[in-house]
Amino acid sequence: MFSLLYGLWKYLFRKDEFFVLIIGLDNAGKTTFLEKTQITFNKDYKGMPFDKITTTVGLNMGKVEIGSTRLVFWDLGGQEELQALWDKYYAESHAVIYVIDSSDPDRLEESRLAFDEMLKSEALHGVPVLVLGNKQDLKGCLSVSDIKQEFNKSSSLIGKRDCHIQASSGLTGEGVDDGINWVVQCVQRNVYRRPPHSEEIS
Amino acid sequence: MFASLFGSKEMRILILGLDGAGKTTILYRLQVGEVVTTIPTIGFNVETVTYKNLKFQVWDLGGQTSIRPYWRCYYANTDAIIYVVDSCDKDRLGISKSELVAMLEEEELKKAILVVFANKQDMEGALSKTEVTNALGLTALKSRTWSIFATSAVKGDGLTEAMDWLTKQLSSGQ
Repeated sequence: MFSLLYGLWKYLFRKDEFFVLIIGLDNAGKTTFLEKTQITFNKDYKGMPFDKITTTVGLNMGKVEIGSTRLVFWDLGGQEELQALWDKYYAESHAVIYVIDSSDPDRLEESRLAFDEMLKSEALHGVPVLVLGNKQDLKGCLSVSDIKQEFNKSSSLIGKRDCHIQASSGLTGEGVDDGINWVVQCVQRNVYRRPPHSEEIS
Repeated sequence: MFASLFGSKEMRILILGLDGAGKTTILYRLQVGEVVTTIPTIGFNVETVTYKNLKFQVWDLGGQTSIRPYWRCYYANTDAIIYVVDSCDKDRLGISKSELVAMLEEEELKKAILVVFANKQDMEGALSKTEVTNALGLTALKSRTWSIFATSAVKGDGLTEAMDWLTKQLSSGQ
């Protein structure tokens, strides 16, 4: 009896679950952005202080719920040797958030090349990509149009998939709302190509 | 007040891995900061380790084939798992992987944080942390926060970084 009720309860409250991959070069601010996202969308979320966030070597998980949509984030390490692990997640990702450090013009090209590598992957065909020009709180950082200039070189690889560049700051929260809402819209629109995770969610 | 609340709760951590990976050496490195001469653990060692105001109850379980089945007796209420791999023992990485996979399927460990120590980095021919990541199939873990650190228990390398990461995860996940 209990399991029956439990099953019904689960059915009623089931959410569409989508996986969102957060990648980009090391020190772009991926983990901070994820923390801020969770603080913004999860009422009772108690994150770690931003000054305590260090280099990710492995996987950080995050979750937010927006209406009946649940986004599960995989935040991966961005160091060069760890970039080899990114593609292991492509096949199951419903969207990608690619984070750029706007305060570091010297590494913009390196970032674009890593971005290209990602776009070339067959497994990501048709998967929406949100590009974040992060760290906009810092003075003298690159603007979105500066970033676009460099990233326009990737336009042929981007092809028909949804792609959007957005200014953001994981510290102040700029662009978090807009960015995440854009992702939600895209994954919902993309449901036929990449249906949500359908397993029972606990 | 915040800190005192945290300070009082003891976290439960298991150190697991195949025999000869260096689990006991790591345990005592963490506890007394020294390299002690160890013998293969039959059964377990348990110590209380205090790190940055957090108290850990650390269980180091023997890793030999015959006693691995008993690991599961210790799974309940575990907050984190330190999985130690001998980065030079390429032949047994496959076994190490299957033990890890089997362990992570356990219901009792669903919420435990995983940190992998690619140990024995002081030895020649040690695999890098990326190679160990691939060999253990860590990228297949899609619903658990994990991290990997290149460590040398003998030299003490990498242990501070790993413990820092672990403390942060444990104190934020409250």
